[in-house]
Amino acid sequence: MKDIARQSMSIKVESMDLLNGQIKMEAHASATYLAMASWCEQNGFFTSAKFFFKQAEEEREHMMKIFNFLVDTGGNPISPEVTGINHDYSSIVDVFESTLEHEVKVTKSIHNIVKKAREIGDFATERFLDWFVMEQVEEENTIRDILDMIEVTGTEGVGLQMIDNQVANWIE
Amino acid sequence: MNVIFQSTYYTLYQAADQRCFYLDFGQKIVRMSLCQLLSLRHKVMNIDIENHFDSDFNAHGFEVLMLCNKEHLFILNTLEVLDLKKLVSHSFISLGLSAEVPEVTFS
Repeated sequence: MKDIARQSMSIKVESMDLLNGQIKMEAHASATYLAMASWCEQNGFFTSAKFFFKQAEEEREHMMKIFNFLVDTGGNPISPEVTGINHDYSSIVDVFESTLEHEVKVTKSIHNIVKKAREIGDFATERFLDWFVMEQVEEENTIRDILDMIEVTGTEGVGLQMIDNQVANWIE
Repeated sequence: MNVIFQSTYYTLYQAADQRCFYLDFGQKIVRMSLCQLLSLRHKVMNIDIENHFDSDFNAHGFEVLMLCNKEHLFILNTLEVLDLKKLVSHSFISLGLSAEVPEVTFS
């Protein structure tokens, strides 16, 4: 019997479901960073706003990378619904701390998919996610460095202005 | 045509020469590509059984299923929904596209 299903699709449906979940997560991250950019603009942190506009674009690129992988492997990529975006932050420190929390969640989710792909012998998905594993190391490191810089600079006096200016160092 | 999986109400066939699948719903047979079968899987697996029994979400206990770019419309009762979920999960295992071990069901 011809294996039409295998000829049409080269990953497992469990990986496809998890990758669709990841598409949603990346879309949510992109929208969250856009909300952060908006908050920064409204509160006078113009360099940080630029940083978050860039982050929002990057998250969308990540989403599209996964979306195209599902297309290439014959899967069924689902365009995500994005709801429940927080627009309220108490300070610029709160913005960056929330960013780190978000990045850690994304990292955990990627690791979970790698683990599952390995468990079910889906080598294509496992290898595809190599890039994301290393990208998350870089993303987390960037935000940790910014939080370290905030800690050293302090938020008193002209501290907030200096923090915003220094964020420029992390805009590629 | 080869039978991929047969549940209480439904049967999925593979037609190798036509490179497609046929799903027999009892009163109607629907021709599907793998993409359409994946789309069916997505819709069926997304039917929340808890919401199905919640009269605030679902007053009449029926689910409406539109398939193949809205070419076909089915209205399913609870037993049919559960059976279609079973057919979908077992079929993908039989097709070698799912690695999940099916849940043990008692009938």
